[in-house]
Order: sequence, then C-alpha cells, then structure tokens
Amino acid sequence: MLTRQEQLEFIIDHYENPRHKHPLANADAMVEGGNPGCGDIVKVYLKIEDGRIIASFEGEGCTISQASASFLMDEINGKTLTEALAIDHNELMDNLGKEIVQQRTRCATLSLDTFRAAVRKREREQLMANS
Amino acid sequence: MSDNTYANPQVLVSTDWVAQHLDDPTVRIVESDEDVLLYDIGHVPGAVKIDWHTDLNDPIVRDYLDADHFSALLQAKGIAEDTTVVFYGDKNNWWACYALWVFKLFDFKDVRIMNGGRKKWIDEGRELSKVVPSYPKTTYRAPSRDDRRIRAFRSDVEAHITKKLPLVDVRSPGEYSGQLLHMADYPQEGALRGGHIPGAKNIPWGKAVAEDGTFRSAAELQELYGSQGITPDKDIVAYCRIGERSSHTWFVLTYLLGYPNVRNYDGSWTEWGNLVGAPIEK
Repeated sequence: MLTRQEQLEFIIDHYENPRHKHPLANADAMVEGGNPGCGDIVKVYLKIEDGRIIASFEGEGCTISQASASFLMDEINGKTLTEALAIDHNELMDNLGKEIVQQRTRCATLSLDTFRAAVRKREREQLMANS
Repeated sequence: MSDNTYANPQVLVSTDWVAQHLDDPTVRIVESDEDVLLYDIGHVPGAVKIDWHTDLNDPIVRDYLDADHFSALLQAKGIAEDTTVVFYGDKNNWWACYALWVFKLFDFKDVRIMNGGRKKWIDEGRELSKVVPSYPKTTYRAPSRDDRRIRAFRSDVEAHITKKLPLVDVRSPGEYSGQLLHMADYPQEGALRGGHIPGAKNIPWGKAVAEDGTFRSAAELQELYGSQGITPDKDIVAYCRIGERSSHTWFVLTYLLGYPNVRNYDGSWTEWGNLVGAPIEK
C-alpha cells in the first residue's frame, strides 16, 4: 500500500509525464468530455484492433483530471472492451488515491466517463454503418 | 481616497515584493488553491500550504474551525501573532482571499494578498520549489472566532431582503439568471433551484480583475460597484455558491475600496438555493 506521499508523487508523475497523450489517427471514435468553460477538458480517442483497445487522450485542466486521464489510458490500452468497462469510478479513485482525489471526484472520473462515452459512440456508429 | 489609490494599499503586495521577502522570517507566504495538488507540483520557495477544505473547515459541521484548531494550524505553519501572512493561489486568488477572510474571522492582524496570484508568479518565470518547508512551531493563540463583523448568515440575508439592503451576487450571469444550477463543472456544489436572492445585483467577481490577474485600479473598481449602487455608505452582503468567489469581492470592497460594512454570506447559493420556502428571483 502506497503512503500518501507516494500516491501524491504517482499522480504528479502522471500529470507531468502523461502517457498516451496524443491524437490517434484513424480512431474509431473520439469524444470530448468536460466543460470548455471551466478548464477541465479530456478528449479520448478510441480504436479497437484484434479485439484490443488502442486509446489516447488530449486535454487540459487541473492536476487530478489530467493525471487521471493518463493513468486510465495506461490501464485500458491492450485490454478488451469488456475488461476496460469493468473499471468503475471507485476503482479508478482507489488507484489514484481516494484520500487525495475525493474532494474532486468529478475531475478524477472525467476520463472514465469520457472513455465510456467514446465506447458508446463507437457502438452507435458501427450499428449505423451496418444497418 | 484619490481615484488611483486603494484605500488600504498595504494589503496588496507585488510578486517583486514577495521575491524580495522569501527569506524574511517575519513573513510567511501561504498558498491556497482550488486545484488541491498545485502546491505539490511547485510553489513559491518557502511557502506553506493551507487547504481551504481540510485545513479551514470543520470536518463534520458546515462551519469553520474553532479557535483551538485555528491556533494549532497557525502554530504548525510557523505563524505567530506578529507574522505578516501573504496569501496567493490559483483562480485569480479566490482561495487566497477566502483564507484571508477566515484569518480575519479570528482578527489576525497582518494579512496580505500577492497581486496576480500563482499565475503571475509563473508567467514571470519565477522560481518554483517542491520542497515543503518546516518552520519552528509558534505559541500563537487565537481569540474566539468573531462571526458578527464580516460573516453573514441566512437570518442576516433574510433581514437584508426585508430592509431592501444591497446584496451582491458575484456569480456568473448564467448562475444568477437561473440558467445554470451550478458553476460549470462543479455539479457537486449545485442547488435544487436556479436564480438569485431577491433584490441582489449581479456583479461577477471577475470584473474586478484585469487580464493579467491583478486587481483593477481603484477608479475602475469604484465605477464598477458604484454604478450598481454598491457604495461605501451601505451595509453590503456578498455571496456566490460556497463563499469563495464572494471572499474575493469582499476583499475588493473592504480593503481596496475601504467599504466599512461588507459581509460574506458563505452559505451562499448552496444554502439559499436548497432552502425550503426561501424566496428567489430568476
């Protein structure tokens, strides 16, 4: 179990050295979450190849929202959709450090909600393409 | 007061002033932010952090900490009765002003704001540190918290409505009109109803700051508030959603313009907009 300081350093490392932070060419779906008027924005790119997730993000805003997006991208890349969709808000916040992010649960879970929206958008577009 | 001079110019210090006093043992620099991790990413060298949520609020009751806990907090931060405390933070110093306001509830003597806040310090390319300093514990003892002078409660607001005294709603026009139930991206701090307290004037906090985050001139501030009938001869109550943005306006009216009777209603819209039977306007 990480100490609070270690957990803090873990979050800050994700904020300062974000993983998978880039646009994704030929993504199956792209969704922008957050509110442009407030400063927390997370844009998730999603692609499925051979049944596995390839995902990336772009964004700006507070430390927690951006670190959460980086951490989530690390978690879901290479997973199946079923595995990735099993991640819930509590699990994400536990991994980020609930004590640290609990004051800003909306920021901490923005990436997950945006990823889920990208999954739904991809499904809708595939349904339309096949109909 | 001349048009170009703040009523209490000593309460504002520049980033230059702070840079020159980083090692001054009589000065304690305090960072207070909305983004709770900014301090850990880097802060003004030697600054301590005060978290508005965990340090200044009672963990159970919706209220501020009492004198014993405030004393313990300041002792631990190395702040004594005669320390000059300079606050700064993100979001144009919202939480810096909020922390200053809480310090004034305990009648702390010398409190100041770094004009332009954290953003200006960074924009000027000044040094940031990740070192969390520790200072010798002090023997500071706070007096009992005095809520009468600068804090307004629900009953005070009700009396204000009855007497048709001025209320200043410092939220965005969308929140004031009721189009938004909460500030953008702060859904956990919303209310059941949208609108404003009857009779309140809408003067968004942000109109008091320039593009670089510093406060507007005394003349501009006088025009901003005076043109809306918010003048120094009146008993004024300011509010927003939880009292942070209205702390900013309270600071402007009280210290920069020298208004003698300004109170901050920290219950604000999260209380009034959820209150059974309370009148509102849209």
